[in-house]
Amino acid sequence: MSVAELEAHEVALEAATGGLWRDAFRRLVRNPAAILGFALVAIFIVAAAFAPLLAPYAPKEQNLLLVARGCCPGPSHKHWLGVDQLGRDVYSRILYGARFSLIIGIVSVSIGLSVGLVLGSIAGYVGGFVDTLIMRCMDVMLAIPGLLFAIGIVAILNPGLYQIMIAIGVVNVPIFARLLRGSVLAQRENDFVLAARAVGVRRPVILFSHILPNAISPVIVQGTLAMATAIIDVAGLGFLGLGPQDPATPEWGTMLTDVNDYLQSAPFLAIVPGIAIVISVLGFNLIGDGLREALDPKLRGRVGRFRERKAFWFLGRRAASRA
Amino acid sequence: MLRYLVRRLLLLAPILFGVSLLIFFWIRALPGSPAESLLGERATPALVKAYQQHYGLNKPVYVQYWAYLKTTVQGDFGVSVASHRRVISEIKQRFPATIELALAAMLFAVFLGVPLGFVAAKRHGGLFDHLSLVASLIGISIPIFFLAIILKYIFAVRLAWLPSVGRISVLIDMKHPTNFYILDAIIERNWHALGDVLKHLILPGIALGSIPLAVVARITRAAVLDVQNEDYVRTARSKGLPPVIVDRRHVLRNALLPVSTIIGLQTGLLLSGAVLTETVFAYPGMGSWLRDAIFNRDYPVLQGGILFLALVFVVVNLIVDISYAIINPRIRYS
Repeated sequence: MSVAELEAHEVALEAATGGLWRDAFRRLVRNPAAILGFALVAIFIVAAAFAPLLAPYAPKEQNLLLVARGCCPGPSHKHWLGVDQLGRDVYSRILYGARFSLIIGIVSVSIGLSVGLVLGSIAGYVGGFVDTLIMRCMDVMLAIPGLLFAIGIVAILNPGLYQIMIAIGVVNVPIFARLLRGSVLAQRENDFVLAARAVGVRRPVILFSHILPNAISPVIVQGTLAMATAIIDVAGLGFLGLGPQDPATPEWGTMLTDVNDYLQSAPFLAIVPGIAIVISVLGFNLIGDGLREALDPKLRGRVGRFRERKAFWFLGRRAASRA
Repeated sequence: MLRYLVRRLLLLAPILFGVSLLIFFWIRALPGSPAESLLGERATPALVKAYQQHYGLNKPVYVQYWAYLKTTVQGDFGVSVASHRRVISEIKQRFPATIELALAAMLFAVFLGVPLGFVAAKRHGGLFDHLSLVASLIGISIPIFFLAIILKYIFAVRLAWLPSVGRISVLIDMKHPTNFYILDAIIERNWHALGDVLKHLILPGIALGSIPLAVVARITRAAVLDVQNEDYVRTARSKGLPPVIVDRRHVLRNALLPVSTIIGLQTGLLLSGAVLTETVFAYPGMGSWLRDAIFNRDYPVLQGGILFLALVFVVVNLIVDISYAIINPRIRYS
């Protein structure tokens, strides 16, 4: 193919055919990395939804006879991923654990997103003193190391599942607030906003039905990526012993807490939950990365690379503050 | 530039004031009190009261806040309830540990990430490029504590090549004039200790460096791709410079500009303490110290330590912004 042909081909591929969302969808399904991401997340969701059907044992069912001769028998045809120090089936626990990660992830991201969305759009749209006040509060929250902040919130509320959801949600608030503020500021000066104001549409209506729908695509990308970090955060807090207080709960991070004692004899006890976390997190990260490219057709060449750089830096920043 | 600097410096004050307020009231919202968590089962009402009296915890909240603000501004963070040591001297001991760990992690990330990103850009669109993308996404997707456990299992438990806990072997007796153990060992000319300290840094450094590694590699790649198409690079090529020289003098040197910002910011983030990494490797840095302080309700440590980390964070941000303007004269802050 000559260069001219190639370019023509690309133009044909890029040609707008049916609105932002349909184009984005077409670009997304052509991206192999994003497809892999969807597959990984699908596995995760199926595991969570059908855990009772898929799991051969109950997650808390102990069989101490299995560990009578030392911890811990590895994978066998009865126990696909082996059993833990109390003779519980690891495979079943991993399946049930997906439920916790999924629910906590969804709830905490929803909390962070909705509060951040309201604060950020108010700050961006109203401007002035309100903007300064809200954004300075967000700066204060961002200045405190993310994981310590989350630990601190859990410490106030006492350890537990709901508490973790709230903690991770609160830590996510400033991220979404900043993002929304930027988006709203960019949209505010558009002609369609001016037109709406000219015909006398009220300000809240302009914000919620004219500006926000146009500012939403970066939020979707961030929301997906935030799901990924939320799953890591949940596991991290669980690992520190702040998760569900019933130690039998099959939460992935909690499952990793005790493995130190068994690293020598049963390393799979650490590897299995770890890989479960990596698979689900990687799935959301791949989808988020694919969505970013799909929703942003300008993402070729220079501007695109600048944005890619920004996005990746952002991702790294969030990951590092939870180390 | 100067006006910008002054404005940014002035902005630091309200942020730090906000952080101090947030920490103060958050700590008071924690269930239990330092007295109860310290005395444990021996906590009789009389003992608790005596304790509250001793630490001034029975005064009205605003009086306590005012006292906290006044002493903090004077640079006095008080005395730890748990260890009875001055918070400032604990910071002097813990923060160098955190700095050493952060630098180890960044060294790993930069020396591996920049070449990886460069090669990926040179083979743009090729197999290596795609693999590096997937690898860096995996790097960001692995929970640090899981990577730390795996590294510990392979290199400390299985192969027994490297130590798995602490900063220095307990058998080594050495003076610590600076608390930077690497510097201490060099000052004391204790080469055995130096080797030991470095060995202790390898595993936590790699675990903690995995995220900056992914970020540095991706950003180097994007920057090299940008610079490669610049006019001055084409000029250099067309005047017949050998490709190696073009890459080194023209491409890499300019591409490293955005990379250096990222390196600075990531270092700043790592200085906030690495709670999980420090937990896995029982490394005595800021993160594990503050985690314990939360569990012990150690008010002075939390008030001083978190405020200190917030200060470090905002100052590093400022330094990075300013150094960016100095390195790249095209950027003008107003």
